[in-house]
Amino acid sequence: MVRDAFAFYHPIVNFLYFAAVIGCAMFFLHPILLGISFLCAACYALYLKGKKALFFGLVFMLPLLIITAAMNPLFNHQGATILSYLPNGNPVTLESVLYGFAAAGMLVTVIAWFMCFNAVITGEKMIYLFGRIAPVLSLVLSMSMRFVPRFAAQAKVIRNAQRGMGQKPGLVKTLSILVTWALENAIETADSMKARGYGLPGRTAFSIFSFNRRDGYALAYITLCAAVIFTGAATGALRFRYFPAIQVHEVTTSTYIFFGVYFALCAFPLILNMKEAFRWKYSASTA
Amino acid sequence: MEILRIDGLTFTYPTRDTPAIADVNLRINRGEFVVLCGPSGCGKTTLLRHIKPSIVPHGKKTGVILLEGTPFDELPARDAAVKIGFVSQSAENQIVTDKVWHELAFGLESLGLPSEAIRLRVAEMASFFGIHTWFHKNVEELSGGQKQILVLASIMAMQPDVLVLDEPTAQLDPIAAGELLSTIAGIHRNLGVTVIMTEHRLEEAYPMASRAVVMDGGRVIADGEPRKVGLQLRDKKRGMFLAMPAPMRVWGGVEEFGINGAKDADCPITVQEGAAWLAEKVKATHGCLSTAPTHFIPNSKFRTPNSTALVLRDIWFRYEKNLPDVLKGTSFTAHYGEITAVLGGNGTGKTTALSVAAGIYKPQRGKVIADKKVYMLSQNPQALFIGKTVGEDINEMKGTPEEMLRVISLCKLDRLLDCHPYDLSGGEQQRAALAKLLLAKPEVLLLDEPTKGLDAEYKQIFAGILRELANAGAAIVLVSHDIEFCAEYADRCALFFDGAIIAHSDTRSFFGGNYFYTTNANRMARNVLPHAVTVNDIIRALGGDTR
Repeated sequence: MVRDAFAFYHPIVNFLYFAAVIGCAMFFLHPILLGISFLCAACYALYLKGKKALFFGLVFMLPLLIITAAMNPLFNHQGATILSYLPNGNPVTLESVLYGFAAAGMLVTVIAWFMCFNAVITGEKMIYLFGRIAPVLSLVLSMSMRFVPRFAAQAKVIRNAQRGMGQKPGLVKTLSILVTWALENAIETADSMKARGYGLPGRTAFSIFSFNRRDGYALAYITLCAAVIFTGAATGALRFRYFPAIQVHEVTTSTYIFFGVYFALCAFPLILNMKEAFRWKYSASTA
Repeated sequence: MEILRIDGLTFTYPTRDTPAIADVNLRINRGEFVVLCGPSGCGKTTLLRHIKPSIVPHGKKTGVILLEGTPFDELPARDAAVKIGFVSQSAENQIVTDKVWHELAFGLESLGLPSEAIRLRVAEMASFFGIHTWFHKNVEELSGGQKQILVLASIMAMQPDVLVLDEPTAQLDPIAAGELLSTIAGIHRNLGVTVIMTEHRLEEAYPMASRAVVMDGGRVIADGEPRKVGLQLRDKKRGMFLAMPAPMRVWGGVEEFGINGAKDADCPITVQEGAAWLAEKVKATHGCLSTAPTHFIPNSKFRTPNSTALVLRDIWFRYEKNLPDVLKGTSFTAHYGEITAVLGGNGTGKTTALSVAAGIYKPQRGKVIADKKVYMLSQNPQALFIGKTVGEDINEMKGTPEEMLRVISLCKLDRLLDCHPYDLSGGEQQRAALAKLLLAKPEVLLLDEPTKGLDAEYKQIFAGILRELANAGAAIVLVSHDIEFCAEYADRCALFFDGAIIAHSDTRSFFGGNYFYTTNANRMARNVLPHAVTVNDIIRALGGDTR
């Protein structure tokens, strides 16, 4: 897997970042904002997953995009600019075609962001994040993550043992043996937990993640960008109306600033990775 | 200075009439290394569990245990958790979380330590135990030995004063067991932790200990310096003496006691000491080494082979298309009426070879030619138990009443029929599983690590059962790490390495020819009696009493 500079930040930074970009991607139907978000998400996904992301994009997302965009005008007949009529007499409007594209773009963008989310927020980080909500939850998750592969392995041992005895391993029998085994062995696990003080008051949740200065900077950066964009949204500067007729808010200098900030937010992981790449190139050339 | 004191401890399990431990009195000083031995079911595990307050079994108890003068009943829960660390047999069951680093931190989290403190202690432990290279791994990816080291480290992270270990190496192969034992010795030596350990691999553990305590029938029957205790056993009780290190058994079988006899202090317990003593002994009795009494070694058991039961011909096998080959041209033959042992390190593919021979997996290339249906006993007997009692479980195989009675008496299960299979000891579980398998009337029988976790006496019983089956004509193939067991009881031995059988001969020439991969008795006698493989071989050669 590629080394992603952003993934080395604290899980909270990772999580809040994705919450912000995915939230924005779902909220804004402004074509420029959508375009920025899609472009960044797609590049980041390609960077993280390479060929796999490209394959996924071409085989699943492209058809999805086309189908969603094409479906909308067939069922949505709002809009003032009539392009033609369907055989059943309903109008096909320019607005509904454009809206179809916007909605499809949003869907694809959100999926792309989630692909990145999955690659960056690993199981371990997920457990940590849950642990922030309730420490017990992180332990339960961590224990389950251990149980599942153990059960699978033991089920295989049981099936093979049955075959070795010259019997066909039936599902019910295997399951019955597995459950007995799990319960009996759980007693020992419980003993091991008690022996190490589980149940004493004031349990803490340790994690190997530490919140450094750079995590603070990153968090500040993300918050700042989000705040600016929120202001833009609140003042209506980023409004884009599709129905009944396309209406764009007056484009001023501040609108470009908002676009710029939105790009700065969406491209944050890419910027970090580029910075890292340049640093290596630079230090290699001076060495 | 006394750290732990047990006064008049008697304990009875709820459904039993006789106490599991009776009137045990022990005083353990700070920094001692106590090895607690005794046959299975002698109460040593019950005693150990009493030393760890949070896991004391339920039942009727009299007597007191004190930690640094404080009775356990008055010990704060936090002290009980911190000051006494407990490690049991199964690493798999003791590991709670999915990540190595999380497991190391688990106990410290329970104590409510702040993150920074935990970070430091975890780092310390990881460095001390050499865990730093696999610190970020998932627990699933670790080997058995690494898992047990992790368990040990996660307990040491809590900085206990007393470390209690209940057969910590029972589930490990010899190499991993040796590593774990030397880690424990290191903890004792470098950190001054008091260690109390039960162990059936006494060959290695015994020389490490500063004190040995032997239990039988719930009572302490010997207690003291390991050498002395071993020799007391020789005189008192033959069964336990079998578990003692090979050099000690040889010495005990050869030396005369009494006025002109040898002194206890001369008794060798390590292979090195044993070899030195043996050289002296041979020199003294026979003048020089060259006239050593090789002729006393019985001729090898090699006979003309019986008819062939199972042939593996050039087997190639891998689990998945893109994984490396596990078996690389394995060829092997087993005969009726013989016990064949396949030895080899961990992960060399021994179990896979057996599974292929039993038809559980199909080889990609090569042929398995079996004369009769091949049966295989899993190394995990718990994978077979389905009934609520042993009797019910055996019934499941639908044998005729006569056959059932026969296997029950053969496997010595008469008194265990009403127990739940999980309440049996490891050796008893192994026998119950074997009984089930025998009801299928196997004539070609494959056993995967049958002696794992068994003590010396159980091994002897188990070997007796196998010999009886072989004499009745069955072909038995066992895969094992247990060199001593194979040397003693197998007819032929084979060495498995890198996916193939690389040596295959009768037991005596197999071990006589190996340098490293051989029994302790052979290592000890290598220079004077190169063909001696078992303890009894040496004793016989020196004219001692083999009993």
